[in-house]
Amino acid sequence: MTVPPTAQDSDAALIEGSLTDPESFAALFDRYSAMLYRYVSRRLGPEAAEDVVGESFLVAFSKRHRYDLAQWDARPWLFGIATKLVARHHRTEAARYRALRRSPADGPVEGPADRVAAGVTASASRPRLAEALAVLPRRDLDVLLLVAWGDLAYEEVARALGIPVGTVRSRLNRARRKVRAALGDIDPTREEA
Amino acid sequence: MDDLDLIRDLGRDLEHEPPASFARQRSRLLDATRRRRRGPGRWALLGVVAAVTAAAILVPVTIFQGRHARPVATNSAEPAAGRAMNVLVIGVDRRVAARPPRSDTLMLVHVPADRRELRAVSVPRDSLVRIPACTTGSGKTAPAQLGMINAAFSLGGADCTARTVESLTGVRIDQTVMIDFDGFRKAVDALGGVRMTLRHPVVDPAAGLKLPQGEQRLNGAQALAYVRARRALGDGSDLGRIKRQQQFMAALVREAKEQMGGNPVRFAKFLVVVTGSFETAPRLDAGRLQALARAFGKGGSVEFSTVPVHPARSDPNRLEWDRAGAARLFATFKTS
Repeated sequence: MTVPPTAQDSDAALIEGSLTDPESFAALFDRYSAMLYRYVSRRLGPEAAEDVVGESFLVAFSKRHRYDLAQWDARPWLFGIATKLVARHHRTEAARYRALRRSPADGPVEGPADRVAAGVTASASRPRLAEALAVLPRRDLDVLLLVAWGDLAYEEVARALGIPVGTVRSRLNRARRKVRAALGDIDPTREEA
Repeated sequence: MDDLDLIRDLGRDLEHEPPASFARQRSRLLDATRRRRRGPGRWALLGVVAAVTAAAILVPVTIFQGRHARPVATNSAEPAAGRAMNVLVIGVDRRVAARPPRSDTLMLVHVPADRRELRAVSVPRDSLVRIPACTTGSGKTAPAQLGMINAAFSLGGADCTARTVESLTGVRIDQTVMIDFDGFRKAVDALGGVRMTLRHPVVDPAAGLKLPQGEQRLNGAQALAYVRARRALGDGSDLGRIKRQQQFMAALVREAKEQMGGNPVRFAKFLVVVTGSFETAPRLDAGRLQALARAFGKGGSVEFSTVPVHPARSDPNRLEWDRAGAARLFATFKTS
């Protein structure tokens, strides 16, 4: 994943530059749009992801004046914007997880072959996992997936969603408890955390 | 494999790479960045120009009163098109219903023919002057007399005040504008307050004012108290008060300018409130005012000054005009 190495070509510098040269904002798209697309495609599927990510950058562009330039890394900001837009497709997302629940064999067809053949445990637990995601409250789901799928640290999730880090932790714990409860009786490898 | 691993695993299976068609989203963004620069960018620039110009005429106007003007434009011809004009702005205190309204602030504004650099001269209200014969509210004629300049308003209203200033300065007054405290307060609030930096904390119980040192945003009520207070600020004189009013107006112009660029909706509201809360003679409605504002073009700066004065010989609590200095100051009001 791209991490801006210095202050000079940091995201913050790029965004600051775009205040006087708007077109230069496209460089942020080049940097992070694929990453954002992968994340949103997991949640909403490929078609909706295209539009949501495009829209996310339009929103980001229009809000760039308010970006906190002390934050070099713009990923949490972009994830936060994308997450808000994903929320509008709430039904699409739930239906996507439910589809996995109904036909576990269809779930992994989108992935590479070796992953389709992933562990027995994963395949067996998938319908229950999908059901758990489909019914998780929106706030808890956002935190869980920004951590698990967005690879954001707790502090970054807090920035993305504009909530305290403590709230990130409590939402994550609650979400994981529910997922574990759903998996509980069929996952022999689960650990008590 | 714990629950998070299972979720990560599921995520990888659900993931897609951006398709070729995704390039369209990049174009969409680029279009937006260019549209910004051309469309709203130009708008914002025009907005600033309009704001400076509108504020340049409206801000002096904002110091004072009236609620009879309608905010609907009916006649958009610019008054005195292509000619210089002089506007007398009168701030009126009519908060106490039982008492006749009093003029509290006086300012003469020169609007040159090219509508660029406005000059605003404040007249200290303690000025001891000769008031010409005026027609009073009851229709009688009050004889010429020596008195404080704001007594002219009590004698014969805006008309008598204008005649007094005309006779003192030799400047023809084309327009009088009255604003009361309520209109001033509303106009500042419509703008969302005005940002000001105070070098010292300001506490004036008489004006109901308590402001900390440093940068802050004054709302309408605070701004009003600030421009009126004279006890706890500076040397407690009317001259100190005038200086604060001028500083406040400069801040107000800056604020209006920023709002026009960044928040056109709020600025429009400000214009409506301002045009709705002053009284003009001859009647100047919103449309004519806007036409006048538009005519200012790119300049639209305001230079503030005060009539030069010294303590009156007959009464050290009153002020007398420095005749030679005043004559120099107002000379430019008669030309260009």
